[in-house]
Amino acid sequence: MEPKSCSGDGNPSRNLHPSKPLMAANFLRCLSRIQQTATNSSVGSRSRRIRRAAYASMAYSAGHRRAWSWALLRKLRCRRVRPVILPRRPRIARPQVVIEIDRAEVLRKLVPGGTGMDYCRLLEETADYIRCLATQVRLMQTVTDSISS
Amino acid sequence: MEPGGSSGVGSVNSGTYTPEIAESLRFEEEIQSLIDPSFDASSAAGGSFTALLGLPANQAVELLHHPGPGEPPASAASSSPIAGDLWRLRLVEQHAVTDTLRLPFGCSSTFPSDAALVERAARFSVFATDDSPASSSGGGLSPELKAEPPDSHSPPTLPVPAEKPRRPSKRKECEKSKAKAVAKKSKSAEENTSAAKPAAEENTSGDKLPYVHVRARRGQATDSHSLAERARREKINARMKLLQELVPGCSKITGTALVLDEIINHVQSLQRQVEFLSMKLAAVNPRIDFSGLDHILSAECGPLAMGSGCGGGASDPATWASETAASTGGIRRMPPPQQIWHLDLVHPQQSSTVWENNGAAHPHFLLSPATSLVGYDPASSVPLNSNQLKTEL
Repeated sequence: MEPKSCSGDGNPSRNLHPSKPLMAANFLRCLSRIQQTATNSSVGSRSRRIRRAAYASMAYSAGHRRAWSWALLRKLRCRRVRPVILPRRPRIARPQVVIEIDRAEVLRKLVPGGTGMDYCRLLEETADYIRCLATQVRLMQTVTDSISS
Repeated sequence: MEPGGSSGVGSVNSGTYTPEIAESLRFEEEIQSLIDPSFDASSAAGGSFTALLGLPANQAVELLHHPGPGEPPASAASSSPIAGDLWRLRLVEQHAVTDTLRLPFGCSSTFPSDAALVERAARFSVFATDDSPASSSGGGLSPELKAEPPDSHSPPTLPVPAEKPRRPSKRKECEKSKAKAVAKKSKSAEENTSAAKPAAEENTSGDKLPYVHVRARRGQATDSHSLAERARREKINARMKLLQELVPGCSKITGTALVLDEIINHVQSLQRQVEFLSMKLAAVNPRIDFSGLDHILSAECGPLAMGSGCGGGASDPATWASETAASTGGIRRMPPPQQIWHLDLVHPQQSSTVWENNGAAHPHFLLSPATSLVGYDPASSVPLNSNQLKTEL
């Protein structure tokens, strides 16, 4: 994986990201911790925790420089006390009024912290997010491969 | 003046006269006649070194460093010792020359009344008496020479870089909050000189100014709004190109909407892969000791500095892990966009076809994630749609 290097100019192409060993160390530490503490056998809750650990390690390795990692860390940090997602109203099948899908809006919902950005910044953050996600996926794949082998 | 000048030159030239100096002196006389039309070339025929004296200091240095058209390029390399020599010769001549020495800035012959000359003479006077080798004096003089001319140098030399075809220097660090597009549009060199000067000053004063310097292309609108929009569009296009390179299979697609669709699909698929792999890890978790994997992964990832990472990352992952352990029903913070995904329960037979390529060890726990998915609260469920799951795993 390319070493992490930040460039002075604003050219996003030079921002080679992320540092895999850092992410790996974080993730493994979280995993072992989950394994030790979570003795409840529910796979679902454990998988949820692992997923949170994955995103956390990803966001942590990205640092506070990126908007998406910052938003992700904020989300993960302030755990809401009340269960946040109330059961949503069943969606009434309405005729699709909107013909044109606003792809920027969709992207904003996907990328953490994307709601508060203009389009240009959104593209930049998406690129970084994709890079980090790909690294995280590769890392997890490696872990599972090494486990199963 | 002539005999005095030539004798003054000749008396000192014995040890330091070189062909390069002679040639440069010859050219200086021509250049001086060009610059000062009223200059009597004949009076300075023998002492063309005085022609050099007639020029202000910075122009003289500039002429020395940018000699005339016929000048052999080799002399440029030796121009700095020549400058040193010439300055030294000049000082010597200053003392030797009489009132016939003609200085355009109206100095008296014996002692220059110009303040700059006085200070320069005072600075260089130590070298006038000393007949040290040319290199040391040249070396000592030329940095001072170069230090002085740059501040007075900048206005005359600004037209030179402005006329070169330079790419617009866009300040990429101009943040959105403060970005103002200052249109530096010009089609002629004269406008460049006037416009580039404040621009250059701003440029050199620091890279923190949030101005975007764009040059208007031929046949395009030149008001500041359209220029700002164009700069912005180019920025957006650059980032879209980056994204296209990042997402596999996106380079061939033309059209922004399809590219964006592809990007969205890619992000969604990556997120789904994270879900899926976390589920896999959760299933195999109780059996494996993860601390032992550290060395495996470090070997795979290369000998990078893991010590620093481990040391720095000790605090935060501990908090994350504690939080993840403490949270019982971890509610999803990122609800999937419902209008895009539809919840599909994972069917065991379909999932087996997708997952069986991962190995024979997995089918035994395929059912448990499926059943656990069924029992999920739809609001916090994992939209693991095996139909949409790409087999990139």
